[in-house]
Amino acid sequence: MTDFNPSQKSLEFLKNKFQDYYKKNKIELPDRFGRRELAFVLFGGKGMIRHSSFNKKKDLLDFLKERVPQHVYYSSAYYQTPDAPKMQDKNWMGAELIFDLDSDHLQNADKMSYDEQLEIVKNEFEKLVREFLLGDFGFNEKYLELYFSGARGYHCHVKDPAIFDLDSNERREIVDYITGRDLIDSYIFHEHITGRKHYGDHYFPSGKSLKMPTPDQTGWKGRISRGIIDIVDEIRKSDDPNKSLQEYGVKKKDAEKLVMELSDERVSRIKDGLLDQSKTIRKFFLNSALRKTAVTLSAGETDEPVTCDIKRLIRLPFSLHGKTGLKVVKIDIDKLKDFDPLRDSVVLGDDLVKIKLNQSIDMKMKNEIFNLNEGEQEIPTYLAVFLIGRKIAHIC
Amino acid sequence: MRDLSTLAKYPFLNEARQYIKDYGPSVTELLEGLLYERSRTIGIERLDNALKNGDVGNRSLASKSDRMMEIFSYPLARMVAVSVGDTYFNRRYALGEAIHAYRNLPNERPSFLIDVSEELHINAEYVESVGSVKVFFKDYLRNAPTRYKKWKMVNRDIDGGYVNISLRDLTRLILESLRRRIEEELESRKSNKAIEKAFSSDIKRFQNMVNLHKKKMEAAPVGKLSIEKLPPCMKDILAAIQAGENVPHMGRFALVSFLNSLQLSTNEILKIFSNAPDYQEDRTRYQVDHITGASSSTSYKSPGCEKMRTYGICPVDKMDELCREVYHPLTYYSSKWKKEKNK
Repeated sequence: MTDFNPSQKSLEFLKNKFQDYYKKNKIELPDRFGRRELAFVLFGGKGMIRHSSFNKKKDLLDFLKERVPQHVYYSSAYYQTPDAPKMQDKNWMGAELIFDLDSDHLQNADKMSYDEQLEIVKNEFEKLVREFLLGDFGFNEKYLELYFSGARGYHCHVKDPAIFDLDSNERREIVDYITGRDLIDSYIFHEHITGRKHYGDHYFPSGKSLKMPTPDQTGWKGRISRGIIDIVDEIRKSDDPNKSLQEYGVKKKDAEKLVMELSDERVSRIKDGLLDQSKTIRKFFLNSALRKTAVTLSAGETDEPVTCDIKRLIRLPFSLHGKTGLKVVKIDIDKLKDFDPLRDSVVLGDDLVKIKLNQSIDMKMKNEIFNLNEGEQEIPTYLAVFLIGRKIAHIC
Repeated sequence: MRDLSTLAKYPFLNEARQYIKDYGPSVTELLEGLLYERSRTIGIERLDNALKNGDVGNRSLASKSDRMMEIFSYPLARMVAVSVGDTYFNRRYALGEAIHAYRNLPNERPSFLIDVSEELHINAEYVESVGSVKVFFKDYLRNAPTRYKKWKMVNRDIDGGYVNISLRDLTRLILESLRRRIEEELESRKSNKAIEKAFSSDIKRFQNMVNLHKKKMEAAPVGKLSIEKLPPCMKDILAAIQAGENVPHMGRFALVSFLNSLQLSTNEILKIFSNAPDYQEDRTRYQVDHITGASSSTSYKSPGCEKMRTYGICPVDKMDELCREVYHPLTYYSSKWKKEKNK
């Protein structure tokens, strides 16, 4: 992808289209919106305009129509004085719990197409919402708001008043929970004594088996158990079990041994919660099941999870993402599975526009397939905005 | 109503407060009456014990009068603590009261533990059939020592927003919640003139103890350490310890291993910690020696930036330019030295 700044003309074009959107559409504003900090990035502007707040909804809507920001953010926190220029003077009153899943966080993201990335993130997101937030944490569905981020990810806002005052460390614990960090081996697996021998009055254990949780157990125990069973089934079903094990990172010798041992009887024992395997195999099962069932939130290193930050700015729902022109749409939990960002968050018009592409493009947007060559093209506005925003086209 | 011996063991309960209101003496009587001499003595004893032993201490509760005196001593101790007017002192005393309750609670019935939890705003329910307790996850998070792996939620059974824990673990949550409540109450109350007068010599004595402790701290400049060159994370932990705040285990560990890498001796490190509210020299020395390798086979390495972040002790909002260039607090410190040298 060559990187060049869209010309002035392209910026004007984007701004005009955004202005149309903000003029014609009613924006739903977040609750307690007068207590939120708002922040903007203007087209062609340098840096972010921060520490704004609006008492009246109309004032913000007018601002959007007149100034037409490229990006709009609001604080997940609410403050006594949201427009105070210093953070400590704002007086923090509480904050929503935010989860931000982005394809940046995926391993090998750069090797996948936009669609593939979005699909994987969506699966992670669904796992987060269903398994963890609704399941383990038992949040009421009415408190969960799901949004497409407008680019490459999804946001979940938990608006249960009970958790507004959680501090950063408490939020980090929640993150550690859903990512499975620090899960202790001995919490999951137990040695179980199967027989006793006695010599005189003394009893000694004569046999040991390794117990693992059963799939119906709650929390991480059941989750790991289900993960292990999935992996076992997957290995047995594959044409070359040895190879698929090795793909999981098991050494050749161990893999051969394991495959030999995975008899029907053994598998049914595993489903009953008995995992009689060597230490290495047990470690392999635990780690693979963990990777399979935990939510990938961040790539570690420099990416501080959004969730722990109690003063975070996050993209305003119903606004447009400045680099795609896609709308930050709210998604019904039941419709998450069928949600297609490149169809359901397209809100800009389809008037044809002349643009110049600097690479060829094959993609599907708003149910239409585009196979475009490098050079000048006439394409619908929504696609033009998307491509210009991603810096692979400009207005000619 | 609960019996007096229960109220004497747990004088922080609302019921004990009500008992004093209904049957107890007035403040003046309590401060001056000959009858209440013993309550006054116990009140001071609570504070002394908390300061010295970390527990307000056990006394005989055999007779009715023993129990009454014990109950009345609690508000007295609190009022005196407020008059001493020192955060470190309050923390130390609050911990002493909480530890005292914690040591008694395992002997109580489940229903009592649940009642105490409720009073401390811990949403808990006893499941008799399995003998365990269901706690709302937020109340668990707020009070559990999650710096220890076995207390992390990931290693607990959770379902539908409730964490399943044992009765014994519930007492640990009660300890933390009670400690925090007493601390907050002491910080928010105002000193009373009558108390200041009645206990003037004890209050002075306590203030002197606190000042002596603080002087010891100030008089201990850390030899080889250049405070300005510390990375923000270590500055934060150090500041918290010097302010007498209770710093989590991982924070202490990070600081000790960091200082050890800078070749500070155990004694120099101990001086820094002697301001912590639960400071016990022998214990801290043992732990420091363990980390530095003086009493164990390994000398622990100071954790890197990534690990610090995982444990939530990297103050992300205070990160500066240099922070972004390094992966380890020690690198930060040494590059500050180098930069100064090159100037």
